[in-house]
Amino acid sequence: MFSPVILAHGALGPWDELIFLGVSVIFLTMMGISWVRSRTNPPLDPPTASSTAYADTPDHYRLD
Amino acid sequence: MPRRPRMRSRHLNSFLSTQQTVLHTLFSLHPKSLVLSPFLSLITRYALLITIFFLLSVRPALAHGYLLRSIPDDYAVLERAPARLQYWFSEPLEPDFSSLTVRDQAGHRLASGGPSPDNPSLLTARLPRGLPDGAYIVDMRLAFASDGHVVAQSRVFFVGVAVGGVSGQAASDQANALEALWRTLTLASTLLLFGLFTLYAGVLLPAWGSPAYRAGSLPPRVMRRLSAVIAVSIVVALLGNVLALLQQAMVFFNADIAQVISGQLWSAVRVGTRFGDLWNARIVLLGLVATAYGLSLYFRDEQPETVRPFWTASAWAMALLLATFSVGSHAAGSLLWPWIGILVDWLHILAVGFWAGGLGGLTLVLPPALAPLAGDAKRLALLAALRRFSRVAVACVVLVVSTGLYSALNWLYTPADLTGTTYGGALVVKLLLVAGLLLVGLAHHLALRPERYRRWTTAFNPLIQRIQSFIPTLHLEAALVILVLASVGNLSATPVPTPPFAQQSIPPPSAAQPMGDLTVTMTITPGGPGVNTYDTLVTRGGQPVDGLDVRLQIAHPARDKRGGWLTAEDADSGLYVAAGAEIDRDGVWWSLADITLPDGATRRAAFAWTITPDAAIIQSRPPNLLNLLALLVVVGAVGWLLVPSARRVYHRLDLSPAAVTVAVGAVVATVIFTVLGVVLIQSTQAQYDATLNPPPAVVNTVLPDEASLQRGLSLYTKACAGWDSASLDNLLQPRSRDETLFAAVGDHCSGLTDAQRWDVVNYLRTMKS
Repeated sequence: MFSPVILAHGALGPWDELIFLGVSVIFLTMMGISWVRSRTNPPLDPPTASSTAYADTPDHYRLD
Repeated sequence: MPRRPRMRSRHLNSFLSTQQTVLHTLFSLHPKSLVLSPFLSLITRYALLITIFFLLSVRPALAHGYLLRSIPDDYAVLERAPARLQYWFSEPLEPDFSSLTVRDQAGHRLASGGPSPDNPSLLTARLPRGLPDGAYIVDMRLAFASDGHVVAQSRVFFVGVAVGGVSGQAASDQANALEALWRTLTLASTLLLFGLFTLYAGVLLPAWGSPAYRAGSLPPRVMRRLSAVIAVSIVVALLGNVLALLQQAMVFFNADIAQVISGQLWSAVRVGTRFGDLWNARIVLLGLVATAYGLSLYFRDEQPETVRPFWTASAWAMALLLATFSVGSHAAGSLLWPWIGILVDWLHILAVGFWAGGLGGLTLVLPPALAPLAGDAKRLALLAALRRFSRVAVACVVLVVSTGLYSALNWLYTPADLTGTTYGGALVVKLLLVAGLLLVGLAHHLALRPERYRRWTTAFNPLIQRIQSFIPTLHLEAALVILVLASVGNLSATPVPTPPFAQQSIPPPSAAQPMGDLTVTMTITPGGPGVNTYDTLVTRGGQPVDGLDVRLQIAHPARDKRGGWLTAEDADSGLYVAAGAEIDRDGVWWSLADITLPDGATRRAAFAWTITPDAAIIQSRPPNLLNLLALLVVVGAVGWLLVPSARRVYHRLDLSPAAVTVAVGAVVATVIFTVLGVVLIQSTQAQYDATLNPPPAVVNTVLPDEASLQRGLSLYTKACAGWDSASLDNLLQPRSRDETLFAAVGDHCSGLTDAQRWDVVNYLRTMKS
């Protein structure tokens, strides 16, 4: 019975599967961290600030 | 005098007309009409982008791998048929889908073979016994593991004399337009997806984000457009990947699409090939992104604050997905540091993804985002996004250029490769297009920050003023991006130049030696350090002698090291074949052949070889100065990109004396322990090698051939009469070294010169062999 393989089965050397899995783990961990941080971080724009003040900032403009 | 009208061919006129119509439709609308365009729906525009990309990049994709060495050479004229055929390639082959068939000039199939179980880069086949003189055609079907390309190729060799009118078939790739289609669809859609997610998280949120919009922090009209493009891109990427699997199965099995589907041939490719591995990884990651996207839609109303985390997190999965392209790229077959090549290629594609994909996303998002605005508000909103994008785009450009430089130098061995090869030509085209893109990007960068570059931009003020509206030049930039992407597709499908050391015709070392009325000819192929085959041909008066027992031993006298005895296989026609990896370095090596005749007598043939690294199959190469400099530039570019993050981390650090002391101490301890560990491992390895096989104090200088054995027997009988058999048996162990025997001969035999002592040693060796 075939089992699904997601690895580059050794074509690049003995350590390639380990490296490939390691990179995958790192990136998926970063994905999780990004998710948690984006969920818990406050919005970029302080709610108390008026839109006019931010409209004057060259790098930010609220599309209200 | 009237000017002569310019002549164009009908084809060119037709082509230009088509291209102009498409480009005009997409990009040459008046800025205002484009921004507010009600005519081009999102789907239409996206489809047009893909169509243009497809039209520009359609061509048969060619395999990345190439032949490094072949035995026999193409069109070689051989005195007799070789025992086996061997073809070494620069990249591993798929074992189940690569094959080799040998036929004679009448078309009769004589033998078949495939990749060696020990070395997937070696295609080999045993030939039948006693092939008559004539021409032989070797048909190879090569399925390269890294890119899944299948190449059909034929080569010819002659036995006896060359035969006219027989020729091989040049390499022909079986890739088709379907491959160009799926490559275009998957590359364009995944680059766009990565660009969209990073654009959202890194540009649009900081530029336009507002807490007033709980679902995604951007106005609904912008989120709707982003969401639509993401959905279309995911569907296109899935479609492209399904086509990829079907097309790959068609090529591997040489079947049509109906057979692939009805016979579930695609399933075998999915689970049994390296292409399938990468495909699985790509689909898993794409499924992850699609799930995150689906969840963001599902929770959009009930938990709108989850939209932003789902979209932000997806950028990481897309970055990983892009890595699957790098693992299957040219870089995977690099002879120089393949993993660094893959990493650099990944950095390259990430930077291109943000830059090109982000630019594509920006051009699709700007129209609805700016639609309700007018005048200064519109301009400020546009500038806010462009400034953010431009900042990151500059970093991406630096990364694209530096990594591109490294990758190009990885494949170009001489300046002539740039102008004299297809790959070089494709690279030049890409560089010219990138240069144009860089110029437009630079103009945008200058126009976005006129105050910063006031001193430099005086001369270009009229141009900068014209650019200030941005929209037309943004579309010019997008058009250039499409052309660059097409050139990237072209370049990735172009075979890399064959290195000058590949296919060098170095004949395998061969020598003949009389042995009574027999002649023993030994050939070592390829004859360099590595795995070799040892062919021993025994003839009597020019006629092959079969039915002998032939054993071989390979020895390296300088290290006093002898391999085990190999039993050669009788391949008929007087040929006896063995193989092994005993020869692991250059220098002088001995090969000893003990041949047992039908009457039971054993005779010895011995050969001394000077092994040089030139004859080895080169499957890796050391870096040259340009490679090292290019890598240094890449590291510098990455370091430069990381400076802002490093600065932010630095500002967050606790720099109290106690913390700094602990940190420095920990770093120093880590470095010390790491260095100590490495040194310890190396010294242990060296000690192990030295214990197992120490350098001899004296080196055997007498080749143990039949004459030496005869002399040794005579000397042993005369000068070593008092040597008791018990102590001799103790000495003659399999791991006994020549220097030990040499010393023992000095102790037990009298009146012998050094050369005579070695003769006795050589004779003693035969007593237990």
